[in-house]
Amino acid sequence: MDVFFNLILAILEEGFIYGIMAVGVYITYRVLDFPDLSVDGTFPMGACLTAVLISHGMNPWLACLCAFFAGTIAGGVTGFLHVKLHITDLLSGILVMTALWSVNLATIMGGKATITIFNSNTIFNSGLAMLLPNAAAQFRVVILAAAVCLLIKYLTDAYLRTRSGLLLRAAGDNAQYVISLGKDPGSMKILGLMIGNGCTALSGSILAQQAGSANVASGTGMVVMALASVIIGTTVFRKAKFMRATSAVVCGAILYKACLAGAMQMGLDTNYLKLLMAVIFTIALVGNQITLGRRKKQHVDPTKI
Amino acid sequence: MKKNLLKKVSAFVMAAFLATAATGCGSSSSSTGASSSAASGKKTIGVIQFATHPSLDNCYEGFKDGLAEGGFKEGENLTIDFQNAQGETANADMIAKSLAAKNYDMIGAIATPAALSAYGATKNAGTPVVFTAVNDPVGAQLVNSLDNPGTSCTGSSDVLPLEAQVKMIRAFLPNAKKIGVLYTTSEPNSISMLEKFKGVAANEGFEVVEQGVTNSSEVASGATALAAKGVDCFNNFTDNNVVNNLSSELQAAKKAGIPVFGSEVEQVKNGCLASQSIDYVALGKQTGLMAAKILKGEAKASDLPVYTVEDATPVYNETVLQEMGLSLPSEYQTAEKVTSAK
Repeated sequence: MDVFFNLILAILEEGFIYGIMAVGVYITYRVLDFPDLSVDGTFPMGACLTAVLISHGMNPWLACLCAFFAGTIAGGVTGFLHVKLHITDLLSGILVMTALWSVNLATIMGGKATITIFNSNTIFNSGLAMLLPNAAAQFRVVILAAAVCLLIKYLTDAYLRTRSGLLLRAAGDNAQYVISLGKDPGSMKILGLMIGNGCTALSGSILAQQAGSANVASGTGMVVMALASVIIGTTVFRKAKFMRATSAVVCGAILYKACLAGAMQMGLDTNYLKLLMAVIFTIALVGNQITLGRRKKQHVDPTKI
Repeated sequence: MKKNLLKKVSAFVMAAFLATAATGCGSSSSSTGASSSAASGKKTIGVIQFATHPSLDNCYEGFKDGLAEGGFKEGENLTIDFQNAQGETANADMIAKSLAAKNYDMIGAIATPAALSAYGATKNAGTPVVFTAVNDPVGAQLVNSLDNPGTSCTGSSDVLPLEAQVKMIRAFLPNAKKIGVLYTTSEPNSISMLEKFKGVAANEGFEVVEQGVTNSSEVASGATALAAKGVDCFNNFTDNNVVNNLSSELQAAKKAGIPVFGSEVEQVKNGCLASQSIDYVALGKQTGLMAAKILKGEAKASDLPVYTVEDATPVYNETVLQEMGLSLPSEYQTAEKVTSAK
């Protein structure tokens, strides 16, 4: 029972942390229909920046905020490349991801590939975390991660209900409509990318504090994980009308992690892990198509709802 | 408000339920396994090896030998859950977390990235972590100091004998001026070794030219670029990525007609000219003995000092020596000789 309990705890911890990134990628991928590959670079940027700031003694919550803002800047660059310079969405993401490798390594880390923060104050071992009683020490991580994740989720939901948020949704769905309103869909896209990458960087920041170290190479494959979470979440919880899409993607992240962890517990060779990830992703995508009953449409036909 | 609560609750319930479903079969068998092993005095440990290459493989062999000598033979009173991270930090993190969840008696970690993942995953639980092949345990914050770890980690450190290596290069190539170093930018060991190496090499009148690569596909082009910078030889550190792709590096060096000095005997066997080699099997064995002490309860990880390897054996490759048209320096007449397998 002990092993099982530890496992659930680990899955929830990771699920909530990656859930933050899933919310960000939900905005860029689902709302804006922009496949953002810069996530592979923004995630380690958040992690590295936080590690550097924390090891210099900054308040860890402040460091998280700085990571978020760094992510927004990266997202802004991606948006700028796409909207103003008319580079395709895939390529803008790739360009930013490639550039961020050097930025992370040379500028942020000062040439060091890994920074450990085992002995520094993180959000999990100082400040707010200390308010929890000692008996609940092993739950600190999951409670804090869940708290931050739910906070981001609610902020995103609230934002998407504001006028600016509605314009964002419109820009992703029907750019013509936004233009007819006299607004610029391009700047909405940039804003959406900024928010999305900000969430990703925040997710990287929290993961670095949980793991105790930050590595410039930790972003590889993050876009796959984030997209898988979003697609699994939206597919599996499609019928659950009471659940918002943002909750669905967080659950998707937890589910995805659960599948991977479960497979490893059952003795799957780590060499096959990537294959398993691809299989799960494919099943989710196929499930998506089946439940939709048709391929993704460019517009909604009023006679066929 | 009610709708929000319902959403939150359903999120938790669904997550827990699905996790249950996914892990139901596996966990029940492993939990009974753990309880029975504790009852009969058997121990179960997890081992994370960061990548597959000869130095780390040698470490693991030595580790098992050391454990056996200390009284824990695999299969009899010891079960080892061995996992290989295939050179990826993300894998190492995942493996470490799953090993930590299984509540093993100890976790062994081979190479720095594996040690960092293992320590990060078990820090709160306090499971002892025994590392090997970690260049700088203090710098990586795995221990507070080499003599007195003070944390749940201890193990052995393989600081490269850089002075001896530079002297060897000078002896083999008396007129050389530049040493080329190919390293992977995301490996902390390489970066710290590079800094130290620059200082040490300057003492022997060498200039160090470096070339950073980011992944395995860049090793070949990186080596060619480095050779084009007019270096007289290459020198390797314990860089997991470069050592994994040694053949690409050797090919590029061969085209330029310059020798490669390795960091371990296996590299010399595979085509490097010479090396001041640390015996990784012996290093692993010492670590295994330390691990056995901890398992028996004779010592705690926080009190066992980190073992740093002192001796390096010079070793050279006869075949490569003749191919390069070089002669064996007098100081190394008694050095261990190997020949390339043709």
